[in-house]
Amino acid sequence: MKRTSPPAAERPSESKPHGAPVHARPATEADLPALVSLTVRLKRLNEEFDSMLKVRPDVEAQAEAVLKADLKNPKSLVIAAEGTGPDKDKVIGIVRAAIRERVFYVPETEGVILDIYLLPLYRRHGAGQYLVEHAIAQLKERGAGIVTVEFPSQNEIASRFYAKCGFRPITAHHARLV
Amino acid sequence: MVEATRPRTRRPAPPSPPLEKETAEAEANQTQALSDRAVRLAEFYRGKIETVPKVPVRSLKDFSLWYTPGIAAVSREIEHDADRAFHLTGRWNTIAVLTDGSRVLGLGNIGPQAALPVMEGKALLFKYLGGVDAVPLPVDVSSPEALIETALRIAPAFGGINLEDIASPKCFQVLEELQRRLPIPVWHDDQLGTAAATLAGLINALQLTGREMSTIRTAMLGAGAANLVTVRLLIRMGHDPHRLTVVDSQGVLHAEREDLDEMQLHNPWKYRVALETDGGGREGTLAEAMAGADVVLGASTPVPGTIHPEWVRSMAPHPIVFALANPLPEIWPADARAAGAAIVATGRSDFPNQVNNSLIFPCVFRGVLDARARSIPDDIVIAAAQELARNASMKGLSAQHLLPTMDEREVFPHVAAAVAETAVELGIARVRASREEFYVQAQRLMARPAALTEALQKSGLVDPMPDEPLPPRKPS
Repeated sequence: MKRTSPPAAERPSESKPHGAPVHARPATEADLPALVSLTVRLKRLNEEFDSMLKVRPDVEAQAEAVLKADLKNPKSLVIAAEGTGPDKDKVIGIVRAAIRERVFYVPETEGVILDIYLLPLYRRHGAGQYLVEHAIAQLKERGAGIVTVEFPSQNEIASRFYAKCGFRPITAHHARLV
Repeated sequence: MVEATRPRTRRPAPPSPPLEKETAEAEANQTQALSDRAVRLAEFYRGKIETVPKVPVRSLKDFSLWYTPGIAAVSREIEHDADRAFHLTGRWNTIAVLTDGSRVLGLGNIGPQAALPVMEGKALLFKYLGGVDAVPLPVDVSSPEALIETALRIAPAFGGINLEDIASPKCFQVLEELQRRLPIPVWHDDQLGTAAATLAGLINALQLTGREMSTIRTAMLGAGAANLVTVRLLIRMGHDPHRLTVVDSQGVLHAEREDLDEMQLHNPWKYRVALETDGGGREGTLAEAMAGADVVLGASTPVPGTIHPEWVRSMAPHPIVFALANPLPEIWPADARAAGAAIVATGRSDFPNQVNNSLIFPCVFRGVLDARARSIPDDIVIAAAQELARNASMKGLSAQHLLPTMDEREVFPHVAAAVAETAVELGIARVRASREEFYVQAQRLMARPAALTEALQKSGLVDPMPDEPLPPRKPS
């Protein structure tokens, strides 16, 4: 079976003004299968970091239900990342975010990046950073004065990445099985 | 493992030809006999190497020179200039054979104590083939950090460190970090030795079949230490990464495989190969990887039948088949040839074209020790492979003669000299000499141990090899 991955020369360096071989756009119902698969990959990755993030057996159905609802919810944001060149029209990444109200703090409107995932081949070259900045801009447009992000505490790669994007830890989320 | 590498298509395997079965049975019997004898001989000789003085001792008075009080002055010299240790002690020619026993031969994680006989054997090979004084050093550690720490702490005694039988991917981290932090050469034979020997064989196989590295398509079976390094060296030598398909127990290793995130965390070396090759544009199993390929390199499951003759038939015309699993190749050479293979190599000495890391590591260490190289970069590994290949081709290449055999020992100092010369060219040698000078020294040092062993046997100081049945056990 042949795979349709782009030849090397066309891969990382080419395309887009921002230099990353990805392009972000609002997700639609048609993207659902790809978005579900990407979300499940992310959840399985989270499981690698912590046994308390063990994924449910019905993770796919759950992902589909959540994404379907989010696509209809004005308080939610689902972004599809596409490749470029031969990978144009191929969904290779996802950002899922939500607008929340902060009851006690200012700024009062918070944008939360809940899920963000890029297929391995499309990481680096600033692709992740581009996606985060794109999401922040969208959340800001919807009134967010602060953007937060959730990821497993043990994920040091994510920790370093968000530090590079200007994020710092503000609250801690601890757990114990009971 | 075996199951997973088989095709997921439901092709029934044809019955094995009788020859294959007989070979396998004879094989098993022979291996058993060899094992029995090895245990009894180990019991008879109780160790394979010993410390022998290399200075004259005319009377006990000489100890005032070799030891205190005279030796204090030698220590003071080294205290002032640590580099003098390479001139005033045996450090220049002494290496550690260091292991944590986490992946010994095909035995798995048997621990440091059980690894000792293997390390002793390796030390014997180092001395006998390379003229290198090697100290067997299994250490009781488990984390990569502890192994690294140990290597750093023992370094003052050694001119180089040979890492041996360490599990993948731990071995990558240990080697990379030690190469970065130690000013002496560090080598891991399971990564570099096997890859270099494979490369040497492949260079000549390509020449014989009129192929170029830059245009071939290659299928690789196994993503362990040796194959991951082989991928790196092949790409460095001009192999197109997108014409390289690596297959492991989960099938073709490509950038969209479900286990890639997990791989990034636990085996970043394999992860990088997955991204770089991206399955050579393929997915599926070994069957898909081999279709139309010029070369198949197996370093995986020691089970004949892992590479199916049908898949060899699906390769490009005059294909090259390296079935390097030990002790049993992934496909018997006769079966591979019957399926159209133009050149077949295995890891065994009883078939033609043995791809054997013993052709590489004695020469590499002889070369880097003689040049007092600071490290062993890939260019040195490639230089060793090229010189080995060149020596075979000078004798005339054929489908039956791809590489020098272990009997062609005159080749060894040539490879050592090529290694030393490359170290000088790379600017990492502390000794500057011409290739001829390195050759002369290597030849002398590599010939000495055989002469020494012979003299010891002739004089009766080394017991002659006992006949079967072995004499009764000596009292402990």
